[in-house]
Amino acid sequence: MVKKNLSLIGLLMATVFIIAVPASAQKVQGVTDTEILIGQWGPQTGPAAPWGAVARGTDLLVKIINEEGGIHGRKFKYFLRDDSYQPAKTKAIAKEFVEQIGVFAVVGGVGVATGMTARDYLMENKIPWCGPVTGVYEWITPIQKYLFAIYPLYDDEAFNLTGYLDEKLGYKKIAMFYQNDDYGKQGVMGVERYLLKKKINLVAKVSAEVTDRDLSTHALKLKNSGAEAVIMWTMPTHAALILAETAKIGFKPQWATSSTLSDSALMMQITKGLWVGMINSFFGELPDSNHPLMVKYREWHKKLAPQERWGVFYYAGIIFSEPFFEGVRRAGKNLTPETWISAMETLKNWQGIGPPISYSKPNHPMDRQGGKHVFYGKVKPDGNIQRLTDWIQITK
Amino acid sequence: MDIKRNYYEDIELFKSNTILVWSILFLIFLGILPWLIQKYHLLGMSIYIVNLITIHAIVAIGLNILVGYTGQISMGHAGFFALGAFTTVILILRWSFPLWVALPIAGFVSSAFGFILGLPALRLKGPYLAIATLGFGMTITTIIKHMEFFGGRMGLQAPRLYLFGTPMKDIHYYYVIMIIAVLMTIGAVKLIKTRVGRAFIAIRDSDIAAEAMGVNLTYYKTLAFAVSAFYTGIAGGLYAFILGFINPESFHLIMSITFLAMVVIGGLGSIMGSIAGAALMTFLDIKLQAIQDIPAIGPALVTFSQKYMSISGISNVAVIVYGLIMILIVLFEPLGIFGFWIRTKRYWKTWPF
Repeated sequence: MVKKNLSLIGLLMATVFIIAVPASAQKVQGVTDTEILIGQWGPQTGPAAPWGAVARGTDLLVKIINEEGGIHGRKFKYFLRDDSYQPAKTKAIAKEFVEQIGVFAVVGGVGVATGMTARDYLMENKIPWCGPVTGVYEWITPIQKYLFAIYPLYDDEAFNLTGYLDEKLGYKKIAMFYQNDDYGKQGVMGVERYLLKKKINLVAKVSAEVTDRDLSTHALKLKNSGAEAVIMWTMPTHAALILAETAKIGFKPQWATSSTLSDSALMMQITKGLWVGMINSFFGELPDSNHPLMVKYREWHKKLAPQERWGVFYYAGIIFSEPFFEGVRRAGKNLTPETWISAMETLKNWQGIGPPISYSKPNHPMDRQGGKHVFYGKVKPDGNIQRLTDWIQITK
Repeated sequence: MDIKRNYYEDIELFKSNTILVWSILFLIFLGILPWLIQKYHLLGMSIYIVNLITIHAIVAIGLNILVGYTGQISMGHAGFFALGAFTTVILILRWSFPLWVALPIAGFVSSAFGFILGLPALRLKGPYLAIATLGFGMTITTIIKHMEFFGGRMGLQAPRLYLFGTPMKDIHYYYVIMIIAVLMTIGAVKLIKTRVGRAFIAIRDSDIAAEAMGVNLTYYKTLAFAVSAFYTGIAGGLYAFILGFINPESFHLIMSITFLAMVVIGGLGSIMGSIAGAALMTFLDIKLQAIQDIPAIGPALVTFSQKYMSISGISNVAVIVYGLIMILIVLFEPLGIFGFWIRTKRYWKTWPF
C-alpha cells in the first residue's frame, strides 16, 4: 500500500515536472511551441461598423494560415475585439491584450483616435504592432521601433493623384472638393503642394462640413470655376451627395479620389451609378484580380467565410496583416519581438496583394513606412475597374 | 434609533459607529483593490477599467445632482466632459501647470459653462431642456474641432505625468483618481444634506412651491448646473490622462446618453446608485463581449449571431444583452440598482419575517 502510494506520488511529481518544464522555458509573451497569440480591435458596432470588415478579413488570413499548417509548427490564435470606434474601449482592449491575454503582437486596427490611445502603451510594453489601417504621419513620427506602418500616406497620395491628372491626362484646370476635417485637409495639403511646385492655380477649393447634407451651393461653386477635373477627399456619404448635385446641374468633370473610396461596388450602389468614370487610387489588388494570391484567397473565402462580401474593406484585413506573417516566417523558429523586427527589416519590395513593402533599420520615419505605392484605375460602366497603371511609387 | 434631535445630527456623515466602521473597511478595500486585481484579474478586470469606472462614477454623481436631485435634465454632459479634458490638457501642455492646479481650473471653466447653460434652463422644462442641452453638447465639440488651438479634429496627446521622477502608470492614476472620487462623493453627500441640497430637492418636487417657500430659483437652478458641470469637468480632466489621447470626435452624443443611462440605471436621486450605475454600465460595455471566450456557449452564440443577425458576430449579442439588462432594470426596479439595495436591506432587517 505504501509502495503504491509512493509510486503514485512519484508519477505525480514527474507529471508536474513535465508540465512545469515547458512553462518555464516559455519566455516570450504570446508565443509557445504550438501557438502564437495575436489581437486586433475594430468597430463591429456603431457608426463606423462598415470598417469592421477589416478585422474579420484578418481572421480569414489567420484561418488560411492555420489550415495550411501554421508557421514553423505554430498555429495562430486570433483575438478580435469590438471597440465600437470608442477610444476608451480601444485602450481597455489594448490592456486586455497585453496584461490578460498576453498577445505577441497587434495587427491592423482601424481609426486614428482609437489607435493613438493605444500607441504609446503598446510601444512601452514592447508589443509589435503591424499595419494600422490609416495613412497618417502619426504612426511614423516620432519613429517607433515596434510599429510598422503599411497604409500609403494620404498626403503623398493626393500629391501624386494631382500629378497623374496633370501630367498623364493633361488636365490643367483642377478643383478640389474636400471635407473640412483632418482627413480632408491632408488631401488639400498634397494637392496644393503639387500645384505650387508646378505653379498651377487651383481653380476652386470647396469644403463641406461633415454634418452638411445640402451640397447644392458647393456643386454650383465647382461648376462656376470651370474645372475640367475635380479631386474629392471625402467620406462615402459626401461623395454620393456631391455627385448627385453636380449631375443635377449638368456639370460633368473628370472626378478623381483616394483609396479610402476604392470599394467601387459599394460606391456604385450608394451613388446610383454616378460613380462610373471615377479615377481612383488603390492600395490593393482589385477584387476580381487574377493575381495568384487573390485567386487563392478567394477560394478560401468561399470555403471558410462564404457569408462575407468579398469587398475592399474585407480583404484589406489581409493586406494589412500579410507582412506581419511574412515577418514571423522569416524570423524562424526562435520568435521574439527582436527577431521579428530584424526579420521585418529584411523586407525589401516584398509583395502580397497590397503595395510592395520595404522596411529598414529605424533611422528615418520613412524606414517604418512600408507601403509607398498605389496604382490608378477607372470605374467601368459595369462597376468593375479598368486598371490604368502599374504600382507607382508615391512616397520617396 | 432613527430619531434626529437637531439639524447637525441630520447632516452628520456617519450616522452610527456601524456605518463608520464599514466606511473605514470600504476605504481599506479601495486601498488594496489594485493589488487584488493584479493578482486575481477578477472578472477580467484591469486597473484601467477600474479607473474608467471611477471617472464615470464622478460624472454620474455630478449628473445625478442635476437630474436626480434638482429634476433638470441634461443630454449635453459629454460637452462638459470634453471641456474638462481639453482644458486640463492644454493648461499642462501649453503652460505646464501642475495637475493639481490644472484640474480645479478645468472644473471651474466647465462649471462656468454650466452656469451659462443653466440660464435657459430657467425657462425650459422637460423635453425642451433636453434639446437645448443636447445642442450645447454638440456645439462644444464642434467648436473644439474647428480650433487649431485645441488640436483641431485630430485631437491632442495628453502629456506624460511624473510622480517623483517616474512616469505615472495606471496604479498611480488609480490612487489619484480614487482620492479625488472619494472626496467628491463626500462633498456630494454633504451638499445634498445641507441647505443647498434641500433647495435642489424642493425645486425637483415642485419649483413653484419652492419659490413660494423662498428658494431663489435663478440662483439654485444655475447653481445645480454649475455644480454638475464642475464634477463632470474634473472627471473629464482625469479621463484625458488615463486615455493619453483626446479627440473631439470621442465626446459624442452617445456618450451623453450613456451618462444619463448610468444615472437612471443606478437610481435617480442616489449617490450610491450613481456609483453602482457607472460601475455596471462601464463594465458591461467593455467586458460583455468576453462571453465569446466561454467554452461551448461562446462559439455557439457567435454562430447563432452570424447566422441570424449580422456578420459581425458576438457584438450583436453583446449589444442586445446590454440593452436587455437596461430595460429589465428600469422595468422591474424603477429606482434602479439603488432600489435593489433598499429592498435587500429591508429584507434582511425584517428577516425571518
